[in-house]
Amino acid sequence: MEAGRTVRNLGVVGVGNMETKRELRVGFDVGGTFTDGVLMCGREVLAKAKSLTTPDVTGGIVEALEAVMTKSGANPAEVAMVSLGTTHTTNALIERRNLNQVGIFRLGAPATTAIPPLTGWPESLKEAIGGHELVHIIRGGSEYDGRDIVPLDKKAIEDACKSMKGKVDSVSITGVFSPIINDHEEQSAEIVRNVLGEDIPITLSHRIATISLLERENSTILNASVITVMRRAVNSLKAAVRKRGIDAPLFIVQNDGSVMSADYAIDYPIFTVASGPAASVRGSVYLSGIEDGVVVDIGGTSTDVAYIVKGFPRESSITVNIGGVKTNIRCPDLLSIALGGGTIVKHKDDDVIELGPESVGYNLVRLGKSFGGPLLTVHDTAVALGKLQQKLDVFKTDYVTHPEKINAVPKALIKNAWVAIKTTIEEVIDKMKTTPEPVPAIFIGGGALVVPREKIIGVSEVLMPDHFEVGGAVGTTIAEIGAYAEGVVDLDIEDRAEAIVEVTERAKDNAEAAGAIRNTVEVIDVEEIPFTYMPGKREKIRIRVKGQVL
Amino acid sequence: MSNPRSNARAILEKWGIKNFRVIDKEAISEITLGASILATGGGGDPEIGLLWTYKVIDEGKEILMVDPIDVPDGIQTASTACLGAAIVLTEKPPSGEVLNLAMGRLEQYLGRPIQATIPLECGGVNSPVAYAAAGELGVPVIDVDGMNRAFPELQMTSWVTHGVHSSPTVSVDNRKNVTVIDTGDDDVLAETLARRVAMAYGGISWIATYPLTGKQVKETSILYSQSIAWAVGRAVMRARREHLDPIGELLKSLKKERNVEGFRVFSGKIVDINRDFGSETNKGFTLGSVTVDGIDTYKGQTATLDFQNEWLNLRIDGKVLCLPPDLIAILDSETGEPIRTDIMKYGYRGTIVLIPAHERMRTAKGIEMFGPRHFGYDLDYVPVEELNSDRR
Repeated sequence: MEAGRTVRNLGVVGVGNMETKRELRVGFDVGGTFTDGVLMCGREVLAKAKSLTTPDVTGGIVEALEAVMTKSGANPAEVAMVSLGTTHTTNALIERRNLNQVGIFRLGAPATTAIPPLTGWPESLKEAIGGHELVHIIRGGSEYDGRDIVPLDKKAIEDACKSMKGKVDSVSITGVFSPIINDHEEQSAEIVRNVLGEDIPITLSHRIATISLLERENSTILNASVITVMRRAVNSLKAAVRKRGIDAPLFIVQNDGSVMSADYAIDYPIFTVASGPAASVRGSVYLSGIEDGVVVDIGGTSTDVAYIVKGFPRESSITVNIGGVKTNIRCPDLLSIALGGGTIVKHKDDDVIELGPESVGYNLVRLGKSFGGPLLTVHDTAVALGKLQQKLDVFKTDYVTHPEKINAVPKALIKNAWVAIKTTIEEVIDKMKTTPEPVPAIFIGGGALVVPREKIIGVSEVLMPDHFEVGGAVGTTIAEIGAYAEGVVDLDIEDRAEAIVEVTERAKDNAEAAGAIRNTVEVIDVEEIPFTYMPGKREKIRIRVKGQVL
Repeated sequence: MSNPRSNARAILEKWGIKNFRVIDKEAISEITLGASILATGGGGDPEIGLLWTYKVIDEGKEILMVDPIDVPDGIQTASTACLGAAIVLTEKPPSGEVLNLAMGRLEQYLGRPIQATIPLECGGVNSPVAYAAAGELGVPVIDVDGMNRAFPELQMTSWVTHGVHSSPTVSVDNRKNVTVIDTGDDDVLAETLARRVAMAYGGISWIATYPLTGKQVKETSILYSQSIAWAVGRAVMRARREHLDPIGELLKSLKKERNVEGFRVFSGKIVDINRDFGSETNKGFTLGSVTVDGIDTYKGQTATLDFQNEWLNLRIDGKVLCLPPDLIAILDSETGEPIRTDIMKYGYRGTIVLIPAHERMRTAKGIEMFGPRHFGYDLDYVPVEELNSDRR
């Protein structure tokens, strides 16, 4: 494990001088192996640390917190915000651990019965949340134009709730066309509270995701299943932070890279499943100052490429699979390829046959040529070309211990390998690009130093910001909140501009509910999607906004 | 409701048919993928139809497919399909009873039972729906359809161009509302009415249509359309498993199954999408065009495609290479997954494949009803083989 390192100790400023209180922010990024922590003052990284990620996640965070506070010597009273990118919910869903028993309501009968809730779910996950016994398809829901399919069957909801008493810890309600008309979901929630009590957590699908019933219902049920997991995590983190003398609000990074207040996250834990990658993208943006471009996160075995639009990760347009279930929640559009510092360069004489997909991973220091090992890796190629001049703090071993082994590799092979690596990176960047013009690229991650960064086709410039190895933790400290809303309009009878204003107001309401200061909320994207196979000029309008927290 | 039917196996026994294929989950997923590829950019999202068919199979209802040649001349068949806005279907899946209801009411109107289903088109929605219907109804599916591709309107079938009609058509919804559309030989009016009914129902309807006799099926359908879709889907799935070139395997399967040459004409990246909203001629369809910049060996070339829900025509560097009713597919080069007009986005990369329409879609009547001039292009139809004769 790496100890933390004080980058620029500004500890003297403000410490013991409460008249000029600084606004410090602490951020954590929970990864598979390491939990990264940073202490920030404005754009300055005052301290950074890495701890081993613990099975309960919280333990690793507490340790990283301790490390940055100790290293910086900062006054806990100056910390104004604590934020994290976390894997609590993802782990619970993948491991089917500590999940809630979920009472599942769908408002849609007599429509929709051909495909009941939980269709296509893995058996183990179905069982872990209580299974079919807790599923009820109720008469109700809306048509796209706002009419009721049929009036809501309130009696049936009441009866179902009575049958669930004592058997469920959480309730999910999904109504047909609720993203457009949410009345039936809200009315149902009222009945559920009346029967099962005010404290029962209820997830309403229109607050979770967009049109596409089955995927939205899946997302809603998954959300309901991890509410207790998230509540416990938030409560224990709040306690740990308070114990360290910090009296500051806790924020959690959501999938689109913005943050939400921890209390909001308890109700919407599903929005944190891509918390980590989203935080990395935001950190890259923040550290580089680039708002539109491509982020290339190069690790030991793989490279994730994301595309940033106005400072946020572009969303995936396809369904997102969580724990074996298809959902339509908002997640970053990531493209992963098997190329990292430890990727093996397969070759025949001087010709490269293939890059990977195998990687030596953390065994680089035993198996790579730079360390006297038998295999040529991407790392070794960079060493041979003199591209590496410094050791990264996160690595214990120097970047080369056996230069004679590297010198023995034929120059032609090294040249061919370097070209192959460059081409691979260019291809993946090109796949993610949405404009023909060159765009800036931000290279982060431990492998960023060992890949070509010059004259990359399709790229205007390559940036490698300071602190790229803790970019994710930095990304969590950016106090911006994102939200969205959508609506369906018929442009034959409605005014487009008015419709956009109306949807924008609803998006701003949502941002405010998530913790944003209303007058800082601005529109970042307006998307219009036409309805096919339908007369008239109907379309769906989707508006994304962002606003400041502090 | 209709009389309870026995089951597909008993019906085939009565007809003395021993040759049939059992459609299991793997088969339906292959058929649906193939149909989505042949859907020419349209046909909708396969997800709901597939899940529905899986559920029907899970309930132990058997789905059997028969050769059209074996079917008795005198039997009554009909097609069932979803007609309406695809996006509404993704939000409002049907009740399990809509197809039974539509077929039952059509039987009532006709005064005779329906003994087999005939799929309407090749598409992500209506292909699996035809199989779900057969399972729900307990009747066999005949290995035919009315297009061997997808088209935006109900009358654009080989059935109409060969002199049979969609009327009477029964249109129902989940609330058991029933509308009978009987316009005699005016198939265009039937389409207009059916679409209005779908709108009034809330965006989609479930129809029982094209009540044809066994003899009519044989004389007017695209024969073996299901086998073609199945072969295409199976080839692409195998290519994925064995890491072969899915486009090459697709073209081989067409050669084998239909003895026709398809053409791989372009690989590129979508760089412009122009959706035409305001046009007066826009009557419930998404119109527009896309521009695709060539990559790899096509670098420097530009392809443009017009679409009206489905792809209509293709030009490369201004030269026309495909016109309706011939088929255009843009497929993900690595997976062979079709890129549909409703989901395509700037930046999508794909390979363009052209496939000759079935000969029963290429009659003079067919060119009149769904050739280039019908879609507003001042161009005479030229078969895709002639437009691409230099690629042989």
